[in-house]
Amino acid sequence: MLNIEWYIVLSSLLFATGAAGILLRRSPIVILLCLELMLNAGNLALVAFSRMVGNEEGQIFALIVMVVAACEVVVGLGLIVAIFRRKLPLNVDDLRELRG
Amino acid sequence: MINSLLWTPLAFGIVGLFLPKRVVGWWATLGAVVTLAIAIGMAIDFDTGSSGLQDTVDVSWISGLGVDYSLGLDGLNLFLVLLTAVLWTGGIAFAAFREQERPQTFFFLMLVAETATIGAFLAQDLLLFVLFFDFMLIPFYFLFGAWGTDRSGEGGLTAPAATLKMIVYTLIGSLLMLVAAIATAIIAAGDGHITFSIAALQQQGIGVESQRWIFWFFAAAFLVKMPAFLLHGWMPDAYRAAPLPALIVFSGVLAKVGAYGFLRVVLPLFPDATVEFQEVVLVIALASVLYGSVMAFTQTNLRLIAGYSSVAQLGFITLGIFALRADGSDGAVLQMVNHGLVVAPIFVIVALLSERTGTEDIREMGGLATRAPVLAALFLVVAMATLAIPGSANFIGEFYILNGLFRAKVVYACIAISGVALSAYYALRMYQRTMHNRIPAQQKAGYASREIGLRDGLVLAPLVLCILALALYPQLILKRTNPTVQQTVSALKRGDAPNARLAKGDGGPHIVLEAKTAGATVVDLTREGEQ
Amino acid sequence: MSATAWAWLVLLLPLVGSLTIALGFRLLPWRVCGWIGMAAVGLAFACAVAVLVTLLGEDPEHRHHASSLWDYANVAGLDVQLGIYVDPLSTFMMLVVTGVSSMIHVYSYGYMQSDEGFRRFFSYLNFFVFSMLLLVLAGNFVLLIVGWAFVGFASYALVSFWYRRKTATAAGMKAFVINVVGDIGLVLAAFLIVREVGSFDYGTVFEQAPEAFTPGGWTITAVCLLLMVGAFAKSAQIPFHTWLPDAMEGPTPVSSLIHAATMVTAGVYLIARTHVLFELAPTAADIAAFVGLATLLIAGTIAIAQTDMKRVIAYSTMSQIGYMIMGVSIGAYSAGLFHLMTHAFFKALLFMAAGSIISAMANMQNIDKMSGFWKAMRFTSVMLLIGGLALAAFPGTSGFFSKDSILAYAEARGGMYTWMAVGGYLGAFLTALYTFRLVFRVLPGKPCKEAQELIDTGHLFHGPHQNPHTLEPEDTEVGFPGPEHHIAEQSRPMAIGMAVLGFGALFAGIVQIPGVTHMLFSFLEPTFESSPLAAIEPSVGAEWRGLAIGAVIAIAGIFASWVLWVKKPELPALFRERLRPVYLLCLNKWYFDEAIDFLIVRPAQAVGRLANRFFERYVVDGAVTGTEETVRGAGGVIRAVQNGFVRSYALLLIAGFAGLALYFLITSS
Repeated sequence: MLNIEWYIVLSSLLFATGAAGILLRRSPIVILLCLELMLNAGNLALVAFSRMVGNEEGQIFALIVMVVAACEVVVGLGLIVAIFRRKLPLNVDDLRELRG
Repeated sequence: MINSLLWTPLAFGIVGLFLPKRVVGWWATLGAVVTLAIAIGMAIDFDTGSSGLQDTVDVSWISGLGVDYSLGLDGLNLFLVLLTAVLWTGGIAFAAFREQERPQTFFFLMLVAETATIGAFLAQDLLLFVLFFDFMLIPFYFLFGAWGTDRSGEGGLTAPAATLKMIVYTLIGSLLMLVAAIATAIIAAGDGHITFSIAALQQQGIGVESQRWIFWFFAAAFLVKMPAFLLHGWMPDAYRAAPLPALIVFSGVLAKVGAYGFLRVVLPLFPDATVEFQEVVLVIALASVLYGSVMAFTQTNLRLIAGYSSVAQLGFITLGIFALRADGSDGAVLQMVNHGLVVAPIFVIVALLSERTGTEDIREMGGLATRAPVLAALFLVVAMATLAIPGSANFIGEFYILNGLFRAKVVYACIAISGVALSAYYALRMYQRTMHNRIPAQQKAGYASREIGLRDGLVLAPLVLCILALALYPQLILKRTNPTVQQTVSALKRGDAPNARLAKGDGGPHIVLEAKTAGATVVDLTREGEQ
Repeated sequence: MSATAWAWLVLLLPLVGSLTIALGFRLLPWRVCGWIGMAAVGLAFACAVAVLVTLLGEDPEHRHHASSLWDYANVAGLDVQLGIYVDPLSTFMMLVVTGVSSMIHVYSYGYMQSDEGFRRFFSYLNFFVFSMLLLVLAGNFVLLIVGWAFVGFASYALVSFWYRRKTATAAGMKAFVINVVGDIGLVLAAFLIVREVGSFDYGTVFEQAPEAFTPGGWTITAVCLLLMVGAFAKSAQIPFHTWLPDAMEGPTPVSSLIHAATMVTAGVYLIARTHVLFELAPTAADIAAFVGLATLLIAGTIAIAQTDMKRVIAYSTMSQIGYMIMGVSIGAYSAGLFHLMTHAFFKALLFMAAGSIISAMANMQNIDKMSGFWKAMRFTSVMLLIGGLALAAFPGTSGFFSKDSILAYAEARGGMYTWMAVGGYLGAFLTALYTFRLVFRVLPGKPCKEAQELIDTGHLFHGPHQNPHTLEPEDTEVGFPGPEHHIAEQSRPMAIGMAVLGFGALFAGIVQIPGVTHMLFSFLEPTFESSPLAAIEPSVGAEWRGLAIGAVIAIAGIFASWVLWVKKPELPALFRERLRPVYLLCLNKWYFDEAIDFLIVRPAQAVGRLANRFFERYVVDGAVTGTEETVRGAGGVIRAVQNGFVRSYALLLIAGFAGLALYFLITSS
């Protein structure tokens, strides 16, 4: 069995990749993908800790996160489709209606 | 019965979402009529002499927090629920006779708003009341924002901006109220079991110190809703933006929820603070009366005339409640119903007038009575009721209010009564400038004055008939209201003891003085009891 | 049937008439509407007679009855019944109101015949009669206020009847608002009464008032002063009188019915009705008497300078009501009411005759332009003359007896009241002077062109349709008495109405001739039996001495008038030159309108403007904007962060969490 550290390192790498993607890319689709990446990094860590501790609670959390992630994708993609249909630019820097 | 009253509109609204555009208006009207029928049925069953709650439902809802799903009907809310049902029927029917954009959503939101409003009136649990009170706002947010009129061209705000302003104002009040409600329950519970039931909270009572700030948190929410002087900043913009069918019910009912809140929540739960701050609230209400009246006769937009006159009328109602006497509060409840019944037809008429002239500005109107004598006659009745001509139920309402105030605080009554003269001026001005005088030289193209149609008549005439019927027999309401009001007000008498405690405990000349004025009221109440 | 049942019927009939006409205005032909209106009031008069007969059949001690239909508003110690009170006083008022009204309805049937708004007119007119009857029959103070306000409303509706005239709608508004001020006085008085006595009911209040109030105390004085505000606003007494001359914008039958015969005398009725209270507050009663005296003199001087025919008569109405107010305030209740009755006859008649002449003048009302109608319109002229004689209290006419019965009482009461009698006689001279100024301008002389046309062709003169005051072109759709005018010579209904009232104006005095008849006073006696003041009665000799003085003054006044306006027409011009300030004062109605405008109207408008321009923008909105500004200023950094870039939000989020994580790491280790 692999040591717990490896899981954590992989999870951190995945999370960092996702975060970097969100910060650097402008396409909402890519941002959404990166979000998924971050969530799954979290999931990996949860499952790994769950294995380590030896009960299933962490895995239940991971399942819930997946459900939430699925919902999020549905809403997010729906928004993207709506933006696309209105012929608005698919660029998050141009979509700044909520500026304070 | 009470459950079906509350949830029928919502059920009809949800079904309406799936109906074709053509029929959804009629379906919604049917929903409102069914609700009205249920409300009338309950009013007929109402036991007149009793002061307690009737038709109660009490189910534990969130047991951990002591929140109950608790509804009930008594003298305070019976006629307000009826008013809600009547005005929503009128408003929805009025909308159904006209083309609406996205009708399914429109009528759904209207019906949701009805359920929320009835819920706020029926709720007997403090948290449930707060929830319904805030929930009322959501459908109106969408109705005003999405179906509203853009006034940015005439120096006003766009509909979303006006709506946002309203929401910010009311939400601040609402959040304060939420905090206050939770605080009330926690403080009242002490170490015991927490509950939000209003009756139980009244039994437990809370300390004077806490009452003071909690009173103002609740008052803030209610005074914004009315709106009272200095808190009415949202009203002009929101009224100008709002779609008229929604405004009919909004102005007719929602403002009353604020006034009702004082009677239902503040007076029973915070008696000491009520007595202590009586004069402060009276000053605010008096300012509302005078300021609203003066503004009403300088405005030229019909909606704003009606809006500011509502500020004045709600000021009267607050004066009645804070006279802290049975006659004042009786009059206040009667006046809430009366005001709803006059302001709603005024907005119907505003809609009809702007359909005939293409404007809402009285400077561009005139001389409509010749072509539209029936409309003019209906308007005349409504205008006379608005200015509370003796012989209308509005007069009896104001008479009771002012009499209560006269007995409690003479000076306030004498100043407030000048608002009556001002109301005569602005109500008549509104009538004359639209119906009488010359037809303005340039009329907008494509508009011509014409008689009220049969369908709009079906909306307007029943409302006017309600006004006339109440004018003949205001006792109908007073008789049913009075037992509960007596009970509410006589509970204030207990304010005697805590106030004495307050004077001793805190010392200080200012507070002793306050206690003295409070004592005077109490003595007055006792005299009332003897008669 | 009992007296109260008949009285309810009296009340109900005009209401039914009004509603029938109003609801059926599309279906019923105008003639039918007219007949319904006349029948309703005529039947009401018949029922009022039935009340009278029933009352006369009863013992004088028990001639008061109360009856209630239902609880109008009865909770929390305020008991308001929908109830009426029938006693000699209300019966008397009922008879006067329905009697004069029915004649004016008949007259209106002719006068308003070609008006587009004929049905509306009759509906309003019937509603007015209902309201007035409610006022006099009400059994408690709240219902009195209701009747009080309803007549105010009916007056408003009828004054602004030709609603396309801006002058008419403005006059209606003025009348209504001033009357609301009066209503407020009554409402406050009712509050005080119910606080002290615990009831609104006439019977209870009058019975318990002597115990509940300290005689001459502050409370009762306040009550009476407040009642007076109501009475003065309705009866056009100084300083609440400015609406009455403006109210002449209404059709002439309206001026005749509401602003001469019935509604404006409501204040007199009110003081007579509440005489128990006024006797407890002698100060208030004296103030009322002085206001009445002042009004009768001031209005008399104004009437001399006016040129508008209807306004001259309106000021004379004010002046005559001054007599009545003075009378009922000093205790001459029956005499005041007697004058109320005779005044109703002759003043209604005067207005009717004026209406007929104004019709012939194609709606021009300026008496300077009238002359020679004696030759053109004989019947109208005779009626005008009868009305004028009765108004000037010419010996033998009804006004002669009624006016002098008030003044004789004042004299008999003695003290300062004697001086009131002197003032009254001075007013009587003025009355004769201005009345016959009117008569001598209109009737004798060379016919003016309108009169000449009537003599030559038998047709009425048709001028341009214009508003007589502003000379604006008139809207003939509404706002003009129809395309055709009607004069009494050519319209039988008008003639009938005038003839009946003319008969009354001449002979109504016979019900109360000192030493000969005592019908009216003995009928009214039960109402005032408890009053010590009503017990004062001038001796028959004193009365006849008063009558003699009155006769001399009336004839002297008429003679002076003849000298001034017929014999030596250059004299008035001379007076105008020499006494220019006095003339201007009278011409401009003693500047009351300007004073009220300056003291009340303008400040109110200024406050409104200030509120609109400054307060609403900077304080109310400013409170919000100010908060917003503060938040903006303080949170400038936050605002910069809220730039709308999703990615910078994300950065913030991540940085924040990283910071939190760092914090926990540091603290945990």
